[in-house]
Amino acid sequence: MSYLVIAYAFAVALLGGFLFWSLRTLRDLDRR
Amino acid sequence: MKVNRYEKAAAGAVALMLVAFAAIFVYAPTDWLQGPVQRIFYLHVSSAIAAYGCFTVVLLGGLVFLRNESYAADRWARAGALVGVIFTTVTLVMGSLWAKKVWGQFWVWDARLTSTLVLWIIYAGYLLVRRLAEPGRQAARTGALVGIFGFVDVPVVHFSVTWWVTQHPGPVIVNDALPPEMLATFLFTMFCTIVFAAVLVVIRYRIETLRDAKQVLVEPAKVVSARQPEPVP
Repeated sequence: MSYLVIAYAFAVALLGGFLFWSLRTLRDLDRR
Repeated sequence: MKVNRYEKAAAGAVALMLVAFAAIFVYAPTDWLQGPVQRIFYLHVSSAIAAYGCFTVVLLGGLVFLRNESYAADRWARAGALVGVIFTTVTLVMGSLWAKKVWGQFWVWDARLTSTLVLWIIYAGYLLVRRLAEPGRQAARTGALVGIFGFVDVPVVHFSVTWWVTQHPGPVIVNDALPPEMLATFLFTMFCTIVFAAVLVVIRYRIETLRDAKQVLVEPAKVVSARQPEPVP
């Protein structure tokens, strides 16, 4: 069970973090 | 704060992924042999397929750039490579955690795992080349060639389980090895993951476009300052 939780927690953190970082970069570039 | 269309698309993609997670953890039955850890399968395989799609964008972008010198195609390639590496990372890490539970070890050097690691290295190398090279025609040409030749590894990864004897299991979709509920969950998760990846590629393409535009604005100033005569001491 713990491997399942770690696997999905990693995927959510990486994909969610990457999406958030991309949207923030885009907003910064648009503002300039 | 005004929400732009990229943020709206991202919100839609996140909502789809949440529905997919509900299907994975609530709708899909627990595998009788492996138990709950088998649920890693849904996002592990979907991420691999999304990565194939992203690397196809790199391939097409590279081919179009070499043919037409289209910098828009080069930007699509750059966007596809970064998103593809992210999804390949998800595939490798989730697969390793699954392997630890069912094989007793995180990694074996079989054809599927090794060729997937090579795929990650090829496109991470592509991103490194693009990061370190001076932006321009030569960097785009080199990137296009790496992207085109690197794509050779995609069919190797995909067919490795049928071409060689591997510890990694063979195809389960084409062999009707999944019960209907598991198959439906997998197909829905795959659809949601591909939409999520497509939204990420579009956002990254927009970022590359704005960066290139900024580069064009900055470059003339660099050229002018480079041509100015050095001050006489």
